[in-house]
Amino acid sequence: MAENHGRLNGHEPGKFKDRFKIAFAVVSIMLCILIMRMWHLQVIRGDELRQRSENNSVRLRKIKPLRGLILDTNGQVLVDNQPSFDIIFVPNRNRNINEAAYKLRQLFAARSLTLSADLPPLGKKGWFPPVKLEKNISMEKLAIVETHASDLPGITIDVVPIRQYLNGKMIAHIIGYTGEVSREELKRDMSGDSSIGDITGKDGLEKQLDQYLKGKSGAEQVEVNVLGKEVKVIGKIEPVSGYNVILTIDANLQKAAWEALQDRAGSVVAIDPRDGSVLALASSPAFDPNLFNMGLSADDWDDLSNDASHPMGNRAIAGQYPPGSTYKLIVAAAALEEGLITPDTTFNCNGSFQFGNRTYKCWQKHGHGRVNLHRAIVESCDVYFYNVGKLVGVDKLAEYASRFGLGQPTGIDLPREKSGLVPTRQWKQQRFKEPWQLGETVSISIGQGFNLVTPIQLVNAYASLANGGTVYQPRLVKCIETADGRVLKTFEPQKKGNIGLSEKNIEILKYALWGVVNESGGTGHALMRKEEDVSGKTGTAQVVSRPDDEKHSKAFVSSKHGDHALFVCFAPSDHPEIAVAVIMEHGGHGGSAAAPIARKVIDAYFERKNSAMTKNKPPLTISQRPQAGIYR
Amino acid sequence: MKIDRRLLFSFDWILLALILLISLVGLLNIYSAGYSLDNFRQEHLYLKQAQWIVIGLVLMGVITCFDYRFICRYAYVIYAASLFLLALVSLYGYATHGSQRWIILGGFFFQPSELVKLTIVIALAKYFDDHIIGRSYRLRELYIPFLIVVIPFFFILKQPDLGTALILMFLILSITFFIGIEWKSLLLACTGGLILIPLSWLFLKDYQKDRITAFFNPENDPLGSGYHILQSIIAVGSGGIFGKGYLRGSQTQLKFLPVQQTDFVFSVFAEEWGFIGGVILVAMFLILILWCLKIALHSRDLLGMLISFGITMLVFWEVFINVGMVLGMLPVVGIPLPFLSYGGSSMVVLMTAMGLLLNVSMRRFILYP
Repeated sequence: MAENHGRLNGHEPGKFKDRFKIAFAVVSIMLCILIMRMWHLQVIRGDELRQRSENNSVRLRKIKPLRGLILDTNGQVLVDNQPSFDIIFVPNRNRNINEAAYKLRQLFAARSLTLSADLPPLGKKGWFPPVKLEKNISMEKLAIVETHASDLPGITIDVVPIRQYLNGKMIAHIIGYTGEVSREELKRDMSGDSSIGDITGKDGLEKQLDQYLKGKSGAEQVEVNVLGKEVKVIGKIEPVSGYNVILTIDANLQKAAWEALQDRAGSVVAIDPRDGSVLALASSPAFDPNLFNMGLSADDWDDLSNDASHPMGNRAIAGQYPPGSTYKLIVAAAALEEGLITPDTTFNCNGSFQFGNRTYKCWQKHGHGRVNLHRAIVESCDVYFYNVGKLVGVDKLAEYASRFGLGQPTGIDLPREKSGLVPTRQWKQQRFKEPWQLGETVSISIGQGFNLVTPIQLVNAYASLANGGTVYQPRLVKCIETADGRVLKTFEPQKKGNIGLSEKNIEILKYALWGVVNESGGTGHALMRKEEDVSGKTGTAQVVSRPDDEKHSKAFVSSKHGDHALFVCFAPSDHPEIAVAVIMEHGGHGGSAAAPIARKVIDAYFERKNSAMTKNKPPLTISQRPQAGIYR
Repeated sequence: MKIDRRLLFSFDWILLALILLISLVGLLNIYSAGYSLDNFRQEHLYLKQAQWIVIGLVLMGVITCFDYRFICRYAYVIYAASLFLLALVSLYGYATHGSQRWIILGGFFFQPSELVKLTIVIALAKYFDDHIIGRSYRLRELYIPFLIVVIPFFFILKQPDLGTALILMFLILSITFFIGIEWKSLLLACTGGLILIPLSWLFLKDYQKDRITAFFNPENDPLGSGYHILQSIIAVGSGGIFGKGYLRGSQTQLKFLPVQQTDFVFSVFAEEWGFIGGVILVAMFLILILWCLKIALHSRDLLGMLISFGITMLVFWEVFINVGMVLGMLPVVGIPLPFLSYGGSSMVVLMTAMGLLLNVSMRRFILYP
């Protein structure tokens, strides 16, 4: 085909020549028009426009939006905004930043204050963008700058909103903190909305819900005089405040949980078993999110992140612990549902269990005698569960554990949740290239060995038994509202699955958990209350595996190696409204170290509920809430 | 593949030199545009741009190795592939500043609308080369070329990318005018277009309408859409005759101009190099475009002529609309300035297009076997 084409395929060459002439002419003329326009702008109007650019009397300034508030379930404000005053140097007629800083230093020095500015190296002459001299200055400094405004050309005060965390450490791990957007975050942000100096959520809900909280920047065009002071605002686009976030957290309960921990390492999680709402989630030790407002110094950051007690980590969702005896619920559930035991099946406990050439001890040295399932759970008999676990086998145990939501993230709306660990034969083979040992099944039957759970997983597992079998995805956020109180989005409870136990078996297990607290000899007797019944389970998790306790002195079992104390419970026993898990690191026995903390949370819950019922006080409406009115 | 030695003798060194010269000016300019931006984010803008230039040059070299007649055998396949990428954008694309233009291709952000500009030219050239009628075309004989342009046109309008859509329209107008169209048909098409313009107003996004109204009276809205135009005019004008000097443009260095490294890159240049620099740059573009037209004129066949003419017109319209916009003569629509605007997709596609021109040019003496 191509071979048959003539040079111009039968078109008259003359016609194309003419068209080329036209094209030559059009292109030349149009580009000449551009040059004429440049002549007009640069030569004829050049001086005028140069004046305009040099006086640079008009500046575009970004107005930062107010971040959305964070409120608890009753409308109590947890996170607010407050104004922060920054000293800015705006290059203008006066471009000598060093002189301006020197004057400022002198004024401050007169009142024995210092200017903590680290001036950028200004090697290059000419133009540079505004420089921030000091962030978040004190009222005293603000007064000095304002009164000497006319002596300080180029120096202005910028008012920007910063976060105010009203409850500080108490709720730090849920809320997280904010900071200036980092280089990496800017690179990742394809929306192009963020720019240098913007505030963004760095952890917790501040990070998770950043898209709702952050709002939209506005801008204003201001005319400034030769001193760099603003004379008038020419045009303005109002910033749009971020949306308010209403949590499921109850601030009172959160406070009770936090105070019960008393700065000891551990965590408390309380959820509503009926829909998975998180009522309280405390992790200790904690950090003060307000510290990050000032821009944390490198030293402070090192102190926080290298602290051996890990105050930055959220133990409630990222702390992974051996579940200890709290795991017996899973073992019992698996055995019952698989028909391997009945409630009447008994085993004899004489204080130890012989398997192969190893001896597995019961926590009760002298043994529990012959026990059935109910008493085995109530007294937390290890030997009973060694036997049962051996019957069930590792893979069936794993199946039931994952039905209860263990070994996988619960999906709570917080970053960096850990998934815990539910061991299986396959897992062991892949991880260690070794086959599963039957003795390891015996260990995991009492929650030792490879198993790891997070407090949120633990409480969620017990809550799903408490509510009759539904596994919910724990949720922290109830709804998101616009700044004027219109509901934008509600977060409905999310069902993740079902533990798949028969009603009869659920009743058997719930009754046993009731016994743990309310029967004599129960390991959780500390929680017995007059009014609402509590059901629960204690756990004591060995930190380092010590098959032979006697070999080590008591001193070895120090704060570093002491057992973790666990307790997980729900109340009231018949219609559970609250489930609580407590883990005290190296706290000792679950019944004595963890149960009293759970009790304080349960007491606080019912105290408030009963007083609310008598007073019948409705929650605050949005119009009654304290607004962040400083700016408006 | 056997390389004909005659090809080396007729290689168009002048075109290559022009391209390299303009790209180098662009690179220096990008360095200035990103100079004082707090050495943040834009830090290595010029390094990245240099990387795009090199990648583009490699592609250009590869493209010259194959006879353009051979390449154009696959014109429709190439066109379909670019349409596919465009469709991917509307499904899975990344959005910035409210429009969805990018997809990730081999780890890079890629803008298929840039590629489509070139593939349309190739597809149109192929079509007209295959359907010669030896006289001017009537409107009803042009429905396939019309479809070739209209399908990507709507994809691009939907993104929305008004600038690129506009370029496509100018492109098909230039090419049909060149290939020859009956005066009656041309008149009909133009009146049709004039009727469609007010209709298309209904489909424009608010920000696009703002830009167009702001064009007519920028002083009314100095903060919103007019802000760009006003600051751009101030930047260009304040450059005066001799300019403020390299890296010394105050409008540029104080970031009065957003996106100064992409669509408004010419204002950076005009502020720092003044009227003299501006005239030299426009003259360089003029020489480049006229040289490319000369290549088209002397190409050995209609296919080569159409390819080179189409590519030349693409460059011309982009230069004219972009500079006209920066100088406040035309509304703000997002069109990059060839070889100067920062952007990988645009640079790589342009270099490939220039490779096709070199291809046509060096084979102008080769007759069919």
